[in-house]
Amino acid sequence: MLQKKVCMLGSFSVGKTSLVRRFVESIFSEQYHTTIGVKVDKKVVRAEGRDVTLVLWDIHGEDAFQKVQISYLRGMSGYLLVADGTRRQTLEDALALANRVAETMGKIPAVLVLNKCDLTAQWEIEPDREARLAADGWKAFRSSAKTGEFVEAVFSHLALAMLRK
Amino acid sequence: MPEQAQRRAPIPPTPESQPEDKQALEELRHLIVAPEQEGLQEIRDRLDSMERRAEDVSSVVAEAIQMRREQGDDQALAEALAPTIQETLRESVRKNPQVLADALFPVMGPAIRKSISETLRTMLESFNEALEHSLSLRGIQWRIEAFRTGKPFAEIVLMHSLLYRVEQVFLIHRETGLVLNHVVAPFVATQDPDMVAGMLSAIQQFARDSFNSAGQEVLGSMNFEELEIWVEASPDAVLAAVIRGHAPSDYRLAMKEALENIQQNFSSALANFKGETGPFRAAGDRLHQLLEARFKEKQGGKGRPRAAIIAAAVPLAIILGWVGYSSYLLWEWSRFLNALRQQPGIAIISVNKSGGRFHVQGFRDPLAADPGKLLSEAGFDPKKAELELLPFYSVDDVIVLRRAKELLHPPAGVRLSEKNGELHAEGVAPPKWIAQFQERAPWIAGVNSIDVSHLQNSARVEFNRLKGALESAALVFPLGRTELEPGQESALAQGEKDIQGLLDQAERLGGTVTVEIVGHTDSTGVEAANLPLSKQRADQIFNMLRRAGVKAANLRPRGVATSEPLRTEDTEEGRRYNRSVTFKVAFSPAPPVH
Repeated sequence: MLQKKVCMLGSFSVGKTSLVRRFVESIFSEQYHTTIGVKVDKKVVRAEGRDVTLVLWDIHGEDAFQKVQISYLRGMSGYLLVADGTRRQTLEDALALANRVAETMGKIPAVLVLNKCDLTAQWEIEPDREARLAADGWKAFRSSAKTGEFVEAVFSHLALAMLRK
Repeated sequence: MPEQAQRRAPIPPTPESQPEDKQALEELRHLIVAPEQEGLQEIRDRLDSMERRAEDVSSVVAEAIQMRREQGDDQALAEALAPTIQETLRESVRKNPQVLADALFPVMGPAIRKSISETLRTMLESFNEALEHSLSLRGIQWRIEAFRTGKPFAEIVLMHSLLYRVEQVFLIHRETGLVLNHVVAPFVATQDPDMVAGMLSAIQQFARDSFNSAGQEVLGSMNFEELEIWVEASPDAVLAAVIRGHAPSDYRLAMKEALENIQQNFSSALANFKGETGPFRAAGDRLHQLLEARFKEKQGGKGRPRAAIIAAAVPLAIILGWVGYSSYLLWEWSRFLNALRQQPGIAIISVNKSGGRFHVQGFRDPLAADPGKLLSEAGFDPKKAELELLPFYSVDDVIVLRRAKELLHPPAGVRLSEKNGELHAEGVAPPKWIAQFQERAPWIAGVNSIDVSHLQNSARVEFNRLKGALESAALVFPLGRTELEPGQESALAQGEKDIQGLLDQAERLGGTVTVEIVGHTDSTGVEAANLPLSKQRADQIFNMLRRAGVKAANLRPRGVATSEPLRTEDTEEGRRYNRSVTFKVAFSPAPPVH
């Protein structure tokens, strides 16, 4: 069996946890976030004709008061970077976080998720910003925890990127 | 080179005037001494070049040290090398302590253990001594046992205090926190090992971060009520054992040994781990040994005195009685559980027993049998069992059928059946119910498809019956007349009733009905007169039906004279039958509403 450690990173309340809630197996309560700062879930996806078990470390959101514990990221094979499309700052914070990760751990397969895409009226990310992200090498998905759009695709894409690395 | 050239030819100055002589002399010299000179030169070069000297020494250094040792004077060699080796080690540790720690790991572990067990042994001896003086009732009992079995008193004490069971063992990759292998003791309910191991690693990390420990320390054990989690770490792997009760300290020794063994046997697989857990399946046996290490065998005593046997018999009888009663309860309980498991719409997830009470966790469809009733039917004391059954929708055939009946209320003529998600309806039902069935049934939980091929529309059945009855009736007229034969009134009344019935059913079927009133004559008489006569007969019935309340729009009278005879006219009866009016019923669905 093939297993991969995958982290979910992003600012506070961008919807990391709700994004995957319906799609993963979970046995721990969300209280773990506030107590030890991380909650471990599991997701099995199929990539290149085999099952890959993603052990998901959902890491408590980063904000002005609390930094992500980089030590939780040790040994990860890839990560989901989640930003809230209705708050531009969360995207910038997420990219800064990704830079911090790249500095400490080198280049690691990652997928960017712009969440809350059902709130089109409040969407703050301009199309040319998204184009620039793509030019910078980011594979970005618009998604919504409400509708569940592309959530499966996000995981499959990440699994494939990790296998091909 | 010029310098060397000078050295090679230390010729005294010669007058410029004799160049030819000088040249000849030079050639002669060259012929005589050149080979020796070149040999000499090579030796000089060798001595001058550091690189070549190092090369020469390197090829003999090992042999030289060996030779020196064989000469029996290794003390001097050791003294000479000691400062350098010390400095090298110090430098290596300063640069990266992990390298040396990893290298020493297999050696240090056993060495440290040996020293500790020695210390423990002496401690145990003093413990033994302390206990010698204790005079509690239990102390005396144990002392008797020690006397009986011939074992040291301390061992008996330890044996009684060691009651534990290792329920699960995880082998975890240290860096990623991923499970490499996981073994579980029989009948132990577990959570998903991948997630548990991940969280265990996260907690380890949390502890390190919280207490600012930058090193490789691990949280050696965690306690949770009756459970203890013991953790041992090697450079690349973590071994975690979930223990119920209190394991003896030498269990940790077993863990350490297993881990050292695994670290050694799987060192390259561990170092190059990319998520593939297949290679670590082979570590399963080693982990299973850790599960099996949970029982402490009791050895039978020898030469028990008879009094002791008698003294033991009474409690033994009590124990046997109790065991018998418990087994009976267990047997009853397992019978009840089997019955419960066979109930459609009830799913049992876990069963355990604590404090003399049985706990069952699972799910129950609201339409499944009442488990409390099953419990009392099985003759089981409801106070001894706790059933925690959460509601869920079962897709068991029986339950889906029950649910469908509850929601669809099938009328008396309809039989419902269900298999593998397909709901069949069979029989005769009103069109309104059929429409409801087709609309609602696929929404019922557990129903994936419906089959109405054996379902008949009651309106259509009734319509066809009335149509058959009406079309087989004939209203008979006397020869050449347009009034009905006497005695035909009841047949007309029946026809009128059938037409009203047809109109009702047609409405239910969402269509309209046209009844052709067909006037016939027999073949006697002139055809030119027969046609109007037949039409008049049809009109006569048309008018009578209208008077009875049938709308003209639903009736269409026509005369066919002799063109559509009903019988052959060999007999008077056949001719009589042809002097009649018959009916033809046509149904047309209502035009679609726009």
